Amino acid sequence: MSRQQRVWYFDDVPLDLRVESPAWTVTEGDVLRYVGLSGDWESRTTDDGFARQSEAGTRVVPELLPLCLAIGLGWRNPHPPLVVLAFMGVEWNVLLPLKVGDTVRSRSWAVAKRAMKDGGVVVEEHEILNQRGEVVQSGKLRFLVAKRPMA
Amino acid sequence: MGENERRYFEEIQVGEEYVSPGRTVTEADIVMFAGLSGDYNVLHTDAEFMKTSIFGERIAHGLLGLAIQSGLLTRGMRPYATLALLGLRWKFKGPIKIGDTIRVKARVSDKRETSKKDRGIITLERQVLNQRGEVVQDGETDVMVERRGG
Repeated sequence: MSRQQRVWYFDDVPLDLRVESPAWTVTEGDVLRYVGLSGDWESRTTDDGFARQSEAGTRVVPELLPLCLAIGLGWRNPHPPLVVLAFMGVEWNVLLPLKVGDTVRSRSWAVAKRAMKDGGVVVEEHEILNQRGEVVQSGKLRFLVAKRPMA
Repeated sequence: MGENERRYFEEIQVGEEYVSPGRTVTEADIVMFAGLSGDYNVLHTDAEFMKTSIFGERIAHGLLGLAIQSGLLTRGMRPYATLALLGLRWKFKGPIKIGDTIRVKARVSDKRETSKKDRGIITLERQVLNQRGEVVQDGETDVMVERRGG
C-alpha cells in the first residue's frame, strides 16, 4: 500500500486491527433530528412527563440513533475508509440505555473476509462505548468492499 | 379503546400482522441523514461519481431505510408498551433510490417470557418493500414490552 493511498480496498483490510473512533456527545438536537427524520415518535424518547414516570426515569435516546452515529464516526477512524460498494447487513444488540448528554465512541475491527468475484465481504465487529467505557451497544456489520482496480 | 393506547405484552399475539403507509424517500432525506450520522460516503452524496457505479445514481443509506421503516411501522399499528429495543438482525437486499416509495409489512413471529415477571420480549419479522413490491430490506427486531400487571 502506498503512503499516498487514501482508501482501503478489500485486500488492504487487516483482520483484528482494533481502531477507536473520535467521540460524539449525543445532544437533544441529535435526538430531535433523528426522530423527525425517521418519524419514529415514541413517548419514552420524546415525552418528558411520560418518561419521568417510567422505569428509566428520563427520556432515553432512540436505540437506532447510536448505530447511525457509529457508522458516521467510522469514517473518521485513523485508518483510510473502505471502498464500500454496499452495506449488506447488521446484527445488533442493545445492552444499556443512553441518555442525552452521554458521549459515545465506537471501537471496531474486521473479524472475517471472504473474497468474491468483484470484491469481497468484510465482517466488522463494532462496539459503542459511553463516556464511562461501558459497551452500550455491539454487533456485526457486513460490507461488500471493492477489489483494487487493475493498474 | 383509543387508537394510541399502548398495548401490553399479554395482549400481543404471535401471527398478528401490520402494514404501514408508504413514504417517498427524497434527496432531502438522504442529505439530512448524512448530516445527522456524519456518513458522507460517495454512495449517498456524490451524484456524478454514482453515475459510473452499478447503481447509476445516489442511493439512500441502508440505515436511513432502517430508520424510516421504524417510523413508518408506528403509523401502521397501535403502539406497544415498549421498554426498549433489544436488538435486530437485518439485511440490506437492494438499493433505495431517490424517489422510491417504501412501506413496511410486519408480523409478530415470537413472544417469550423473561426472568422478570413484569415484561416480555416480542420479535417482529419485517419486510421493507418498494413501489414495485421488491423487498429492499428485511429482518427481525426484538423489543422488550411491559406486562399490564407490571
